[in-house]
Amino acid sequence: MFAMKHNRVSNHKDTADGLSPKADGSATRRAWPPSFQIASHPMVAWATVILLILGGCSSYKPPDFKLNLEGRDPATVKPVQREAIEEVLTVLFGTPDDPHVPSGVDLDLALLKKAAGPIGRDFTGNERGLYRKHCAVCHGISGDGAGPIAEMLNPYPRDFRNGVFKYTSVAGGAKPLRSDLLRTLNRGLPGTGMPSFSPLSQEDLAALVEYVRYLSIRGETELFLLRAVVDENEPLPLRKQFVLDEGVRPVDAMWRLAEEEPEKYVVVPQRPRLSPEELAAAIERGKTLYQETRAQCTKCHGPEGRGDGSESELYDDWNKLKKGITEEQTHQLARWFSLPLQPLRPRNFEDGLFHGGGQPEDIYLRIYLGIPGTPMPAAGPAPGTPGVFQSQEIWDLTSYVLSLSHRGTETGRKVADRTGNKLSSESGMARE
Amino acid sequence: MDSASGSESGRQVFRKHTRPWSRRQWLQATGAPLVAATSLPLMAPWHYVAASEHYGGSVRGRFIFRGTPPERKKLTVDKDVDCCGKFDIRDESLMVDAGGGVANVYIYVRSRDVPVCVSVAESSARQVVLDNRDCIFKPHCLAIWRLRQELYIVNSDPIAQNVAFAPLGDLPANIVLAPAPGDNTEATWRFRRGQSQPFDIRCNYHPWEKAYLLVRDNPYFAISRDDGRFELAGLPVGRWELQLWHERVGHLQLPEWSQGRRTLTITGEDIDLGDIPLLPRDVGIGQ
Repeated sequence: MFAMKHNRVSNHKDTADGLSPKADGSATRRAWPPSFQIASHPMVAWATVILLILGGCSSYKPPDFKLNLEGRDPATVKPVQREAIEEVLTVLFGTPDDPHVPSGVDLDLALLKKAAGPIGRDFTGNERGLYRKHCAVCHGISGDGAGPIAEMLNPYPRDFRNGVFKYTSVAGGAKPLRSDLLRTLNRGLPGTGMPSFSPLSQEDLAALVEYVRYLSIRGETELFLLRAVVDENEPLPLRKQFVLDEGVRPVDAMWRLAEEEPEKYVVVPQRPRLSPEELAAAIERGKTLYQETRAQCTKCHGPEGRGDGSESELYDDWNKLKKGITEEQTHQLARWFSLPLQPLRPRNFEDGLFHGGGQPEDIYLRIYLGIPGTPMPAAGPAPGTPGVFQSQEIWDLTSYVLSLSHRGTETGRKVADRTGNKLSSESGMARE
Repeated sequence: MDSASGSESGRQVFRKHTRPWSRRQWLQATGAPLVAATSLPLMAPWHYVAASEHYGGSVRGRFIFRGTPPERKKLTVDKDVDCCGKFDIRDESLMVDAGGGVANVYIYVRSRDVPVCVSVAESSARQVVLDNRDCIFKPHCLAIWRLRQELYIVNSDPIAQNVAFAPLGDLPANIVLAPAPGDNTEATWRFRRGQSQPFDIRCNYHPWEKAYLLVRDNPYFAISRDDGRFELAGLPVGRWELQLWHERVGHLQLPEWSQGRRTLTITGEDIDLGDIPLLPRDVGIGQ
């Protein structure tokens, strides 16, 4: 019980400790005063100083992956269950400093090693520890989206462990392609805390993409283990083959789906080139589609697209679990989550600030595929689903949404001033 | 194509079987799916059947509520009031009929790798239907044998509906269905992974709408009907662990059903468990 409590309280500190040698140094300094108290005799003090000189100041303690206890009362996880889960995960996936790839899983170990571990350079001068350098401060060492500064951000950084990613190019809720994750890294997510990492080399970016996939596959395996061991009382010790067959391989298969069957899952926007008259007509048609009841756009985004629809209580899947029916329940639930409840705001199109990107292709994909993990549903066709809108209609809607952007609001004006493109939307869709 | 992959999935399943098999059994195990798959061309490539000699018996019973069931609360209907306001939409988390029967209790075989009898495989429907009707999901509780069945989702209401779910380790869905009558009011969904317990299905437009779905790798599951009765039909011979689950409490803990589990031996005769009493505290009332 003590261990659990400690874990909760020190979530952020744990993560910070692993971030840089400096953080480790400060941890060492905290241990100093007791030795000075004992050191009343000058000899002891000298001995301490000599020992420190010989041993060095840094005592690097490699960080661990934190067990995913989101939404669980830690007291309900028996120590033996916790150990069993942690052990099998370490055997299969290694540690934050030394990642492993379970056999047959589509992950590139060489790239992972580049992203993992403490920040530094190897003997050939190649940079290591890229994830800790660039990502962990928000996304956490474990990829839990609860790094030291996560609480200050809105929306929160992504918790990779659920295997759900918002901005993809794949239908049917399939996992993102490597190129989708790469796009997010390259461009960042405008209007969120996620910056662009485009100055990094292609190889570094590929390493980070691979590491995100690694944390996600590991995270989903962990969720499977928690379900099996804690909720379903799977007999211990766990058999490695069982975890591989029922935990790891199915997750790996989901990640391969869109990469292996792109014709079935991947949506490639083909932007129409429109004359100004055609664009005006498309915007008109889009407006009609937006306001009709087929896809219920106005419910969340409001009649004029200002994000003020009648659905006011919206949460993403990561926050939905924190919401009880009564206020008191919500308060009770808050104990079992790292970050407080955060409501979701439907986009105000007038701001012209789209998290998934403001190009017509981006808006098209958001309408077509929906935004996984949020209430925004997929309006386009997917395997098994005819969809409420077809491609042409989605382009019309895209034109309408973009025609609203950069108008009216303070943010919209700022964005327009900064980009120097007051009607980027229309020029974006129009034939030049 | 059907026959090749059909026999392959059959073989995979039997390789996992614990006891050594006679040569005849092996032949049947690999031969039966081949024959079944070629004789029924409509079958999907992931079809899965086994030798019929395993047929044992059925397990039946009835869940009875002991005590006064709480009144079903009226749910807040504040969206699409023009359409949904006229229905009496009430909480469905505990359904007790006039005779005391408790509906919507899941009972399913928890054991892994249960061989499936041909008769059971052939008699199960290809689709499980989830209807959006009168501004609620119908039925409230569903179960699906994912290797043979797919989920057919349809909207019967004159308003757009949304169906969203995120099964553990499977792909999430967030589907819009256009208002009925009209085009694009239906969808089908296939599951890629079995689940050890049901998950919830929600509608993001109408927060009161809720349903539950259990996805299994075998067809041995039942949901108690309005009168509380259930039947697990055509269980194979063997010792199987059953699991009870109810949406109010998850695993339904009862006397003789520790953690909602009980092991039964199927020898070839039907088993009648009789009336299984549920006290209010068993379903989380008065705690």
